[in-house]
Amino acid sequence: MSAYRERAAREIRAERPAATVTPIMRKLVADAEAMLGRGPEDARARAAAARMYAVDHLEELHEQMEANLERRRVHYHRAADAAEAVAIMRRILAGSKRIAKSKSMVAEEVGLTHALRADGMDVLETDIGEYVVDLEGRGPSHITAPALHLNRARIREIFERTGASFEDDDPVKLSRYVRDVVGSYFRDCDAAITGTNIAIASSGRLGIVENEGNVSLGVSHPRLHVAITGLEKVVADEDAALAILEVLAPSATAQPLTSFTHFLAGPMPGQERHVVFVDNGRSRVVHDERYREVLKCIRCGACMNACPVYRTAGGLSYGSPYMGPIGAVVSPLLWPDGRYADLPMASSLCGRCTEVCPVGIPLHRMLLDLRADGVADGQLGSRTEKLAWLAWAEAFRGATRARALSAFARVGLRNGSRIVRSHGDGDDPRLFPEPSELHDRTLLQAATAERTAAVLIPAADVAPHELPALFAFRARDLGVTVVESIDPRDGDLSLTATAAIANTGSVLLTGEQAARRPILGAKRVVVRVSASTLVRFPHEVAPFLGGDDALLLTGASRTADIEKQIVRGIHGAEEMVVVLGP
Amino acid sequence: MPSVALFDPCYMAALRPADAECARHVLRSLGDDVTLIDGRCCGQPAFNSGYRNEARTAGREVLKAARPFETVVTLSGSCTSMVRHYLPVLWDGDRRDAAQRIAGRFRDFVSYVANHPNVGNLGLKLEGVVAYHDSCHGRRELGITSDALGLLARIQGLEVRRLAYEEECCGFGGSFAVKLPEISVAMMTTKLDDAVLTGAKVLVSGDFSCLAHLEAGARGLGLKLETWTFPELLLRALE
Repeated sequence: MSAYRERAAREIRAERPAATVTPIMRKLVADAEAMLGRGPEDARARAAAARMYAVDHLEELHEQMEANLERRRVHYHRAADAAEAVAIMRRILAGSKRIAKSKSMVAEEVGLTHALRADGMDVLETDIGEYVVDLEGRGPSHITAPALHLNRARIREIFERTGASFEDDDPVKLSRYVRDVVGSYFRDCDAAITGTNIAIASSGRLGIVENEGNVSLGVSHPRLHVAITGLEKVVADEDAALAILEVLAPSATAQPLTSFTHFLAGPMPGQERHVVFVDNGRSRVVHDERYREVLKCIRCGACMNACPVYRTAGGLSYGSPYMGPIGAVVSPLLWPDGRYADLPMASSLCGRCTEVCPVGIPLHRMLLDLRADGVADGQLGSRTEKLAWLAWAEAFRGATRARALSAFARVGLRNGSRIVRSHGDGDDPRLFPEPSELHDRTLLQAATAERTAAVLIPAADVAPHELPALFAFRARDLGVTVVESIDPRDGDLSLTATAAIANTGSVLLTGEQAARRPILGAKRVVVRVSASTLVRFPHEVAPFLGGDDALLLTGASRTADIEKQIVRGIHGAEEMVVVLGP
Repeated sequence: MPSVALFDPCYMAALRPADAECARHVLRSLGDDVTLIDGRCCGQPAFNSGYRNEARTAGREVLKAARPFETVVTLSGSCTSMVRHYLPVLWDGDRRDAAQRIAGRFRDFVSYVANHPNVGNLGLKLEGVVAYHDSCHGRRELGITSDALGLLARIQGLEVRRLAYEEECCGFGGSFAVKLPEISVAMMTTKLDDAVLTGAKVLVSGDFSCLAHLEAGARGLGLKLETWTFPELLLRALE
């Protein structure tokens, strides 16, 4: 039995992940499709092209990135492998005692948290989902929703083990509990570690997306900020970054954009910023024609959301930091030592992953190639299996032998399934029927009433076409109040947007207006938007991004880390008002 | 009378031997002259397991047998997809081009019949209710969902019900069902739940591989659910 099968069988027996995961993912995948559908028609093609360009010009873009980061007084590092990544992080963080970490898949990949804790550093996972799985101790089960495998009752139990107590397991209370723990940690910590979704070569800015506001805290509070990311995450310019953003949140969480989209420029006065790019096999993969496209991945998780194998066996069964179809492709490529050689088998090859991938990675075809590689280099398949396939091929060399084999299979399958059953293998109910007769017609007439839960899509209001009306329509959807004028209140933070995106209900803040600290501290954020600065789609906002710090706000901070239920107002103001003027 | 080959895939010969005869009858009713190709495998089981040399050995025989024919109607969507999309890739250079030329003549039974110039003259008629199972290979690799539904709609008196999550895999996946039975069976159960909710007692699909898996599951679980292939359904609709 393969290691994957063992883990999957255990997960299914003990946890039955499908019961929780399938209904959540069915809804999420449908919502994501609808969200992509309301964006521009060519969004996926443009995102794919932006990523492909990056893969084709990796080294060139890195040279540009390094120069532009230096110009902004940001330190550029490049780690050849996991060990070097950890060593670089240790060097940068030397002397730090309390470190606030937000979500980063690459940090998981190199085992960063473990390594730093082993050095005696105090590292807090500040993303709500990561905080939960860190306490649970089994690691994330999804790349964007790490605690997906845990329901609210389990999460409450896990929190209560640390001494917290709750009246009930309401996700709002559980989420706000973590917010408070994280908020007070940030009052006194030396350094923050974040990931980076998009490194923009032409300007040296870092594109980071988040919903909770913990990244906002991380990049603005401690004196040291270190971003860690994969070598492939560099893109040419702002247009490329926006093309990716246009599909990233819709595919990942069915949001138009995440609550916060950062375009981080240089450090604040007195602050130090580093970026660590981790290679760890990527520069090898980029030279392999069959697999290089996998480096286009933007880590949205759409492939696992849609994957029936992932939904059934859960993310932990992969035993890798990367799970689902992308994990089954990328794990054996990044760790070619054979430890993940059986993951490419974790697919029925239904092709749903390839269909939903917003950047067009042919995932199921790569799984097929990886299987062939595994067999060719001896990491996959036993000696017995090899001999069996050889014999099989011999049988199919001649039609007579092949017909005999089919007849043999006919008898074997029918009786085999009965023999297996009589030995009480209750886990597999399959029983092959008598094959040769045509069916009786009677069952055609025996249908009962249809009980298919009618998928009733509520008649949504039709989105208005004019930009100001569209902006107001979308912003209200996000819980943002849109008014023409407002009476100021105590604790208001008044800001002026450089531009706004009508179709996503987002406001763009640049330069001083993008300062995170006041935004996080305000009771209510009031943003003035001039209708003349409205654009329809994210990719059209590029000319307004300027060359400095920029921040796109799309609704108030939120989380959906507990059972995908949305809780608004995590770090930062719960209330956002847009004053839409001429 | 156009001459077509009818490819009866190895696993169908094993599990639903009556099907080729049904299909032959339907094709003749359409006015085709039919030659049977059997005792061959497209190579998919070995290919999907990573054994490409073995897949090539088996697949070569299918292409050889298909060489004289302009059209090769295939009884399983999944085998059609294997031949059209994957098999030629097992050769290089000129041989790949040659393989590609033959592979391009393979058509799955459902779309071949749905697009046949004489399909309107068949006078298909069958009273009853069926649910339609959309196979992954048919849907995503061949894009024949609308052909299948269109063909079903031609059968007078037949009510066709759709599964709520028809884009989801039934869990068969060939060697997948053998190598990871726990996951395969759990996926099958989800699909059977979906099928049962339609109220129909007969499930129809262009891919018998899914149907064999689902019927074995339904029988083992004691569900009253039969699986019919298109050739069988059309034959009944011709009677």
